[in-house]
Amino acid sequence: MSGGEFYRASSVQEALDLLAKFGAKAHVLAGGTDIMVKVNRRQLAPEVLVYIGECGLNYIKDMGDKVVIGGATPFAEILRSPVVKQKLPLLAEAVAHIGTPAIRNVGTIGGNLVTASPAADSSVPLLALGASVKLASKSGERVVPLESFFKGPGETVRKPDELLVEVIIPVPDKDVKFAYHKIGRRKAGTLSVVAGAVVFKAEGAAPRGTAIARDQACYFEKCTQARIVLNAVAPTPLLAKKASALLEGSALDAELIAKIAKTAAEETSPIDDVRASAWYRRQASEGLVKSLLERIVA
Amino acid sequence: MYTLELKVNGRAYKVEVKATTTLLQVLREKLGITGPKVGCETGDCGACSVLVNGKLVKACITNALTVHGKEVLTVEGLGRPGAFHPLQLAFHEHYAAQCGFCTPGMLMAAKALLDENPKPTRDEVREALSGNLCRCTGYVKIVDAIMAAAGEKA
Repeated sequence: MSGGEFYRASSVQEALDLLAKFGAKAHVLAGGTDIMVKVNRRQLAPEVLVYIGECGLNYIKDMGDKVVIGGATPFAEILRSPVVKQKLPLLAEAVAHIGTPAIRNVGTIGGNLVTASPAADSSVPLLALGASVKLASKSGERVVPLESFFKGPGETVRKPDELLVEVIIPVPDKDVKFAYHKIGRRKAGTLSVVAGAVVFKAEGAAPRGTAIARDQACYFEKCTQARIVLNAVAPTPLLAKKASALLEGSALDAELIAKIAKTAAEETSPIDDVRASAWYRRQASEGLVKSLLERIVA
Repeated sequence: MYTLELKVNGRAYKVEVKATTTLLQVLREKLGITGPKVGCETGDCGACSVLVNGKLVKACITNALTVHGKEVLTVEGLGRPGAFHPLQLAFHEHYAAQCGFCTPGMLMAAKALLDENPKPTRDEVREALSGNLCRCTGYVKIVDAIMAAAGEKA
């Protein structure tokens, strides 16, 4: 573990210069909540650490129809942000379930995404909201939709000389419906067994409180902009495209809810690990999507 | 090796560290400040909790060099015999320590909470302690003590 080098980037430009120089040898350090755990477990002996925690990537910008969050913004600041609370309540709700207060004080949104755990907590609301990430290098910038960012456990399309500088989140219409839930092995400070989010826009809401039996009701005449997301049940956080497509353009009733939930579960490819078995995760995925949709129509 | 300058409990220090040295190693091994405990070393148990520039962090997964130029507060800086912090007095009064291993971290998490929210609800106290494990499971007394320190009737 000796001999590693440490560089403190005082600007984004300096960080990009360092990444250009060291390439794959460099590990980008922000809050350290993933990297330092690996160091302590002797799973990682970084040759070069490039610290970006104080290089000017800690911000939340309200751009009207989108919110832009700097890559090194800690979750605690996202949770505290009035802009996020007001414009992206789904993100605020999910961030409150990330780690514990001390972890949220330093753990960053960019770090969570680049680490690319299949259980990445922030990936669920961000995929559901259609977020993109901006990757910068000395030779330029590119914006990648989050659904094409993850490649596998710990793998993304980020090149060694690129830095995740921003997360760009479109602000959903005010009347967009959403629900989020995380199933863990305990309430606080836990990794997902599976977490999920459902987002869609509903037209023609059926009248509430009528005598129509709930299981016969058509809750909404037409659903659009549908996105159903699950984590920890596939090699990457999963945008359940088939389940989302079932909801898109459809009238939502109890029968469709059951079908969507079943389809979402079929799209998963979970593994057995210390947190849950693959069998359990698949069952839980179906139940989770069903309960999220039911929570919205309730 | 890199030179790290930091303040701990109001006193300035200069120490030599490696690129991957943790703040906890600096405190315990270089400075002999052993209030923060070595528990899980994965950021889960909270026994190493300290404040950096007033913010609660887990010293075991804090890269020491990221604390360069900053101020660290450990339980040693919270209060001393004869001049205990109200939280320490409340922990004593309410039997909030059993084996005592988690206590320094619990106190620092409580301090971080009360600095930001001087009149928390019991639920807010529980949330604030959610990253601190008590292997003796003495949580109720700890919450009682923090509520008392915050001026509530526990």
